Amino acid sequence: MASSCSQALRHHVCKSSRLLRVHLQKSWTNRSFEGAVCVSSSFALNSAADQQPAVSSPEEIVIPKKKTWSKEAVLQALASTVKRDPTASDYRFQDDPYLTPKTSSEFKLFSLSQESGRNAAKYFINTYPKYFQKDYAQPHIPCLMPDTLEAQIEEVSEAALIERIGMRKVKAAVDLYDQLLQAGTSVSLDVTNQLLDLICFYGDHDPAQENVPEQRNEETEDVQDEPQAKKGRAAKASDLLKATWKEKNNAERIFALLSEPNKHSYSALIRGMVKYGAYSKAFSTYTDLLNSRLKADMHMFNALITAAPEVKEKYNEKWELIVDLLKQMAEQKVRPNLLTLNAVLKALRRCGTVGKSQAFPVISEMKALSIDLSLASYTHLLAIFYKPGAPIQGQTDILQEVMNEVSGKSFTPQDPDDAQFFITAMRICLDTKDMEQAYRVHELLGVGENWRLLGNDFQQNIYYARFFSLLCMMENIDVMLKWYRDLVPSVYYPSSNVMRDLLQALDTDNRLDLIPQIWKDIKQLGHANRQNLVEELLTLMAREKHNQEVQESFAECALDIKKIYDTGDRGKVLLNWTAGSLSDLISVLLAAHRRQDAWDMLKLFKTHNRVPSEELLNKFLMCVKEGGEVNQAVELVQISAGFCLPGTPKLIQRVQQEFELTEQQRKMLSDLEIQSFNSE
Amino acid sequence: MYRRLLININQVRNRLIHTHNTRLTLPSTKCKERESFAPVTWAPCTARPLGTSSISFSENKESSTSLSEDKGKTPEETEVNAEVNTDGQRNTEMNEGTEISNATLTSQLETEPVVKPEDRKQVETTKSGKESLLELLGAMKVEVTTVRKIRPSKTPRMSERPDQEPMESTHSMFQRAAAEGSQQHGTLNPALVAAVSAAASTLPNRHQAESELLKQLRKHEAIPDTQRRADIGHIISDMKVGKRPNGRSNVRPTSQIRFDDDGKGYTQDRGITSELDGVRRRKSPFTSKRLNLFAAAAEQDALSDLGPTLWDIDLVNQIVQATNQMPRNGFEEMIQWTKEGRLWQYPINNEAGLEEEASVPFHEHVFLEKHLDESFPQQGPVRHFMELVITGLAKNHHLTVQQKKEHIDWFRDYFRQKEDVLKEAEAYLN
Repeated sequence: MASSCSQALRHHVCKSSRLLRVHLQKSWTNRSFEGAVCVSSSFALNSAADQQPAVSSPEEIVIPKKKTWSKEAVLQALASTVKRDPTASDYRFQDDPYLTPKTSSEFKLFSLSQESGRNAAKYFINTYPKYFQKDYAQPHIPCLMPDTLEAQIEEVSEAALIERIGMRKVKAAVDLYDQLLQAGTSVSLDVTNQLLDLICFYGDHDPAQENVPEQRNEETEDVQDEPQAKKGRAAKASDLLKATWKEKNNAERIFALLSEPNKHSYSALIRGMVKYGAYSKAFSTYTDLLNSRLKADMHMFNALITAAPEVKEKYNEKWELIVDLLKQMAEQKVRPNLLTLNAVLKALRRCGTVGKSQAFPVISEMKALSIDLSLASYTHLLAIFYKPGAPIQGQTDILQEVMNEVSGKSFTPQDPDDAQFFITAMRICLDTKDMEQAYRVHELLGVGENWRLLGNDFQQNIYYARFFSLLCMMENIDVMLKWYRDLVPSVYYPSSNVMRDLLQALDTDNRLDLIPQIWKDIKQLGHANRQNLVEELLTLMAREKHNQEVQESFAECALDIKKIYDTGDRGKVLLNWTAGSLSDLISVLLAAHRRQDAWDMLKLFKTHNRVPSEELLNKFLMCVKEGGEVNQAVELVQISAGFCLPGTPKLIQRVQQEFELTEQQRKMLSDLEIQSFNSE
Repeated sequence: MYRRLLININQVRNRLIHTHNTRLTLPSTKCKERESFAPVTWAPCTARPLGTSSISFSENKESSTSLSEDKGKTPEETEVNAEVNTDGQRNTEMNEGTEISNATLTSQLETEPVVKPEDRKQVETTKSGKESLLELLGAMKVEVTTVRKIRPSKTPRMSERPDQEPMESTHSMFQRAAAEGSQQHGTLNPALVAAVSAAASTLPNRHQAESELLKQLRKHEAIPDTQRRADIGHIISDMKVGKRPNGRSNVRPTSQIRFDDDGKGYTQDRGITSELDGVRRRKSPFTSKRLNLFAAAAEQDALSDLGPTLWDIDLVNQIVQATNQMPRNGFEEMIQWTKEGRLWQYPINNEAGLEEEASVPFHEHVFLEKHLDESFPQQGPVRHFMELVITGLAKNHHLTVQQKKEHIDWFRDYFRQKEDVLKEAEAYLN
């Protein structure tokens, strides 16, 4: 009732406004005759009125056009006001503070769990649709309802075939098609083409079964989850290896059955052949197409261009083949699109030096056809000029040129390779040590929706690792730390190698006093069990003398590190003491005048079968002397003698000279002296 | 190499002095001049790398000598076109080059023996050969810094080609030269020292070269002034050098690697480069020529009639998989939900999801009497009952018009089935 009433009301309003507009227009035309300006459309009314204020009267009303907002417009406006919070973790983890990831492995685990939970729910809904039929939502929400996975139409008919094609059941569709033919029913060309599409797309294999949980996970699993994704990728790769284009498969058989295959049929066949590696076969099919006086379509050419580098050996021949294909495209009046351009550029990546000379003409050609380049085009361009591992020979300009082109633009994803741009560009920045361009790349990432093109979590990690390594290498420590605070750990969990880079950067810029802070981060990032990282940290702390305050904090940090050594994870020892790490730790403690702690540490040499250096013992003796602990000094000598260190006699001598010893201690020392003399 | 340079510089000097002297006595002896030009030809006009100086005469003015420009300033009759050698192979062919330049090019020079009266006047003015040499060397603005400054990568600068340079008359040049050089006696002029070190910097062993050059020059300081009355400008003014256009001279590799002696090895132009590029807006490779395979205005062929194929769907799917689709904040999550249709749309609309109902006018809902007309009795209890039914239906906003009609139809069927019973009871009046 209410709705119908408002309906009627709106109808009325519309009507009256239309009347009003008609009236206005009429009056305007009258007036415009006076002003000798004829503006026919009421849309231009406003501007014309502005130009001629003398003519227009004050009561003129311009009814604004009805504006239809897209349903996301409000939310988009709101979302644009939200900036990234460098102290918060990723949005998907914000529901539960307990599940805030602190290390990269936790990040993987949590995001993976979330996704797999979703998948499990979907799996149950789709497997048992009868329990999920109650539709609470009004209006109806289709995506919440279970998908129908079983074919509904049982009889042998074209409709049933269409249904099976829609459900992507390759085997069932092929069987049904055969049954239809046997029964003498002809299937329309369109449906046959759809069937061909289906068979060629899946390479004459059923797609991974939707209702088998493991495989389903692989297929629909979010690519965010790196280990899972790797597994998935491996599985897919092996699938592809298995699923090569077979001689006389169903697609070819059905194609042969067609009396008059059209462009679409050829297109499906060629694309399938290219997708499943039957490259030369694709070209011969293309020749067949030309012989039957048909024209190719764009998708066919795109597929053939992709296949071109596979069928020729030499760089020149590859390129000639591509040019030939492009010429045929032009002849057949097929307009290339962005994917054509990207296919050509991708093929040029495998054409060596020819690629370098031809890449820009290709791009100019496409620009002349007013095809806007996507990030994938630039990715290919960069890959043509900068081969990974190859020496960089004055090609910096290319990255710079590319950045000049793309800076400040917002890109929409148009090609699956678009997501490679940022990591490629950052790799080049890292290789050429070009901080300036790296900043530009990073700036571009912040424009518009470009962040989506950074790709999945795995790629994000690579990108930030490269960026951050470059920062460690090239930037001064303050700028670097600013970035560090900004990126870690809200978007990036550095690996232990990157943390070592960071330590080295601290060392270069003489900011070793920050080490205790960094140690806290290392602990949080889960790198406290990395032996070489911890040892490097200890070495850096022990190497130089700092002021008292810094030494104190170092000592605290050192004791903290000691705890890591002591507490194994469930009985498993995480870190092994080495002579170096022990003596570094003791030096740090001694520098902070923590004699007692250091003394405890010294005993660890014995328990872990390590031998202290003479230098360390000398240092220790100095410290003991400052404290005037005679007993400790003697004990130190005993320890030294226990290790049979060659420096023991000297040590004994020092103790004898520098300390006031009791008779007993003197005796003991002289005994030790004799002992060590004998042992030598 | 620097030795050769050294020798040549001295040669130039001596011959200049010599020429000058002879000139004073024998104004226009062609053969004499020819002879004297031989060493001077270490200036341009070869396609070969220049032997004597090992400086490549690139048109780029910062890095190499602008000798060509200098020559451009000499009188009109001298047409000099510096042959630019951009390849880095100058070292290898150096010796050869010297010979060639000395031997062959003298013949190429079409010297004009005529010395104009005003020139002569200028010659009379006090000018030492050293000044001229200085000018010549000074024009070789070679960078002397140990760490090379970052320079923008080069593009040919057509505007600075010598032939387009506004010509300066000998007259004014000489005046300028006279003004400049006046006091260099005894010690070496700092400018000369700079020029020498500049020249030396092009040689591999820079410091040694420099010191030797300077030592040699100091030796020649002792030569009496009278011997040094020579004017290179004069000689140059009499030279006519054949033009030899060469396409290659315009091309420079986009980026040249230079050797840097601060130990970093090869360095590349960077840093300020980009800023300067921005200013100069040099030609970007993105505006290079196209392949010209397609006609620009090729009309779009008809789009495929059938909707998105499996391939299109897969492409979209691949793109979605490749990109990051995770929401970054609550609003973005809501956008995602809106797209999936899970969330009530903004701006809030009470009639969301009732799109097909929107086309049904309200009177269809409210005035339902028309449905009673045909098959129901016009009066009596059944009619009365049905009137109550449609009143109820008219007020029901949960049902669509279609459902209301079905409701009425159900009663129609029902009463038709029960017609006998009703007639018996005399309730069915029609």
